[in-house]
Amino acid sequence: MTFRQLAYHNVVRNRRNYAAFFLASVVSVMVFFVYSMFIFHPAFEEEGLRLLAIRGMLIAEVVLYIFTLFFLFYSMSAFLQARSKEFGVLMHLGMTKKQLNKLIFFEMLILGTVSTVTGITFGFAFSKFFFMIGREIMELDDLPLYVSWEPFLLTIAAFASLFIIISFVSVGFIRTKRVVDLLQGFWKVEEETKSSTALSIMGVVFLVIAYTFAANVSDRTVYQMVFIVPPLATFGTYLFFTHTLHSLLRLYKRKKNVYWEKTRLVSLAEASVKLKDSAQMFFIVTIVSTVAFLTVGTLASFMSYTGDFRESNPLGLVYISFDGNEQEAEHIERLTSQLENEQLSYDLVELTVKRQTSEATGNDVDILSLSEFNRLAAALDFEPAELQEGEGMFVPFSLDSLKELESTSVDTALFESGVSLSIRSTYPHVVFPMHTLNINTIVVSDADYEAIDEPLLGYGPGKSDFSYYAFDVLNWTETVNIGDRLTETVSEAVENADFSSVNFFFENPGDDYRWFKSSFALLLFIGVMVAAVFLLAAGSFIYFKLYTGLERDRKQYKLLIRLGMTDKELGKIINRQLIPQFFLPWGLALLHSAFAFISLQVVWEEFAELSILSEMAIVLGGFTVAQILYFFLIRWRYVAHLQAP
Amino acid sequence: MTHRAVNQLSFTVEKGEFLAVMGPSGSGKTTLLNLISTIDSLTSGEILIDGINPHLLDKNELALFRRRQLGFVFQDFNLLQMLTVEENLVLPLTLDYVPIDEMARRVLVIAKRLGLTSILHKKPNEISGGEAQRTAIGRALIHQPALILADEPTGNLDSKSSRDVLEILSNAANDSETTIIMVTHDPIAASYCDRVLFIKDGEFFNEIYGDERRQTFYQRILNVLSLLGGSVNDLSATRLP
Repeated sequence: MTFRQLAYHNVVRNRRNYAAFFLASVVSVMVFFVYSMFIFHPAFEEEGLRLLAIRGMLIAEVVLYIFTLFFLFYSMSAFLQARSKEFGVLMHLGMTKKQLNKLIFFEMLILGTVSTVTGITFGFAFSKFFFMIGREIMELDDLPLYVSWEPFLLTIAAFASLFIIISFVSVGFIRTKRVVDLLQGFWKVEEETKSSTALSIMGVVFLVIAYTFAANVSDRTVYQMVFIVPPLATFGTYLFFTHTLHSLLRLYKRKKNVYWEKTRLVSLAEASVKLKDSAQMFFIVTIVSTVAFLTVGTLASFMSYTGDFRESNPLGLVYISFDGNEQEAEHIERLTSQLENEQLSYDLVELTVKRQTSEATGNDVDILSLSEFNRLAAALDFEPAELQEGEGMFVPFSLDSLKELESTSVDTALFESGVSLSIRSTYPHVVFPMHTLNINTIVVSDADYEAIDEPLLGYGPGKSDFSYYAFDVLNWTETVNIGDRLTETVSEAVENADFSSVNFFFENPGDDYRWFKSSFALLLFIGVMVAAVFLLAAGSFIYFKLYTGLERDRKQYKLLIRLGMTDKELGKIINRQLIPQFFLPWGLALLHSAFAFISLQVVWEEFAELSILSEMAIVLGGFTVAQILYFFLIRWRYVAHLQAP
Repeated sequence: MTHRAVNQLSFTVEKGEFLAVMGPSGSGKTTLLNLISTIDSLTSGEILIDGINPHLLDKNELALFRRRQLGFVFQDFNLLQMLTVEENLVLPLTLDYVPIDEMARRVLVIAKRLGLTSILHKKPNEISGGEAQRTAIGRALIHQPALILADEPTGNLDSKSSRDVLEILSNAANDSETTIIMVTHDPIAASYCDRVLFIKDGEFFNEIYGDERRQTFYQRILNVLSLLGGSVNDLSATRLP
């Protein structure tokens, strides 16, 4: 056996311990490689959705790199710690520090090479599949598989550097220890560690405060809370696992009638030992899981935004012509002919919008006539509005404003024309896309509308009015390419913040919708893959803890069977030990995420009136199912190993 | 550390001598062994092995010294679980980058001598305690060290396996002039040695030399142990070989 063979044997024959760790590394490499395949794709121009994809994936790659670095760092330190007895023996036999470093370096080299090669192989094998998803999301005609050295080089360079960094750093974990201490081994440090009552209470208090803050966050305090709640919750979680949990177990043990009852004695005593040396691991698993839940949850909540989109944008196309627009007829002509070419049926309603100043508030108001408005309502299959002379009706600009306006009534006069209005009602639908009309928009009776004969203060006669062309398109999502030249002109003006040469405004909700939907789907697609790596990593921590203790557990179970414990009772004990390890950190992460989503809901309500509850339920429910499956998988393997002769 | 585990202790071991160190629990036996094996450090005094004071060497030289001059046998064997018996045997040679064919040659010799030939490709968890300890002794002998340090080598073994192990050690001392220092609780194990050194509270208590008949030597050891007092409970139940 040469020295290199020694390193090789150590890795290969430890494969059961390395399995979950290896799986997480491979998936990390694979995801990283798939992103690289997208980024370097020759069909990817730096434009639109593809630019978003490139940027999103680049950020995801950086996140993956940093996370994997941290993950490997933590895993390797735990691995090496678990093997300290082995290193003690080797050094006792005369291995020099240099040789020890070399051994670990070789081992990391083997692990790193195998995970990188496996990850890239799987990544390349599945990239056609991911390209198909990407093509669907970005609505590209074709996203062919290609072969180029760039994605390979980037992935290999990234992970080679990563594993080299880790192999150098991880050597440091054992450098300081004396051989005598190493020989004591990893599991010897199991005496009851002391937990402080004060810190135990503090852990709970921190969590309660963080939750209270999160639950009571308002749109005004939300930005401060972003900096207060997460650190508070993180620290609280740490104390919870390192102190609170042990204090609770101690309290529980004090009740001897409970503690000494049958199998509970064994399972509790075991649980408290395991919880103790797993406190840090639990903490990390909780935080990593929380981050994964939040990533996917947040991105999924974007999706509900697209769900509400239609309700806020019932119109198919909007063209607004301001005073001095000479291309008005030409543009409308082109839009209608484009719609006809695409065989999209539509209704076109033209509204003339008048502008006045409200005496009650001093704000500009956009005014529509009842007959024109009802013509549009009829086209949209909405109920017509009814108004008497002297009455006005609010038109909500968003679903959010609808609720607010319903409880508002105003008596006002229009300053320029001297028309008195009593506004008592609100139209029950959002009709016009936000920003296409003033947030103060009202409908008045035709008689009152005719009576408005003065322009808005500061404008010449007739100069403050504008024409609003509202298209109702049945298949509104298919308008993507309609008016593309107008869209370009408008977005150019928006980008340069210069509307001086543009006397019109064009909005294509169908196109906007597609863009929103695709970009959110894209972000979700990117986020889910990163979250999957996070969760696999969290799972591998648990797996690792379980397997480093396996030999010891096996002896213990053998002893218990000899002492006359039945298989059923053993199953109970195993459950009592595994369930907390799997579901305690995960449950706390779920609780963290739930409260974070309560805060997120507040933020969302500020932007767009919508509920993310159903998306959250799906996301958290999905993770629950995955975790339960993982639990049964690991339990099955664990029991099989325990019962092996 | 204010407590002195080993204090005012001075003795010499001849080349090829098989020395047993006995004493009650906590008398400093294991500390003494760790000091000689250089994995624990001295506060004062000196240890010379073949005229070299290993505690004056730097860490690197120390590791080389252990690798070439010392062999170790432990109560719980300390075999590496991931390696086969054969791989465990050659470990000291691996660390010293000995050529492969040289390793193979030495393994055959050692395995034959210790009766390990049939189990060379098994893992430590597949073999008996006696086989495991013989493997450990093989590992301690394979690089022909000047000194073997054994810490309760028979502590986890049944009497038959203990006898085998002790005979192997005794033969190794006689045949290949390897010096052996063995710490033990067991008067039977000690009776295989050339000399028994008794320590109490880290200090020299007594020493006796073996004679032709192991039976009488065993009796004399028991006598000294009873003088040590208070510690008889630590001793294994009297079972005559």
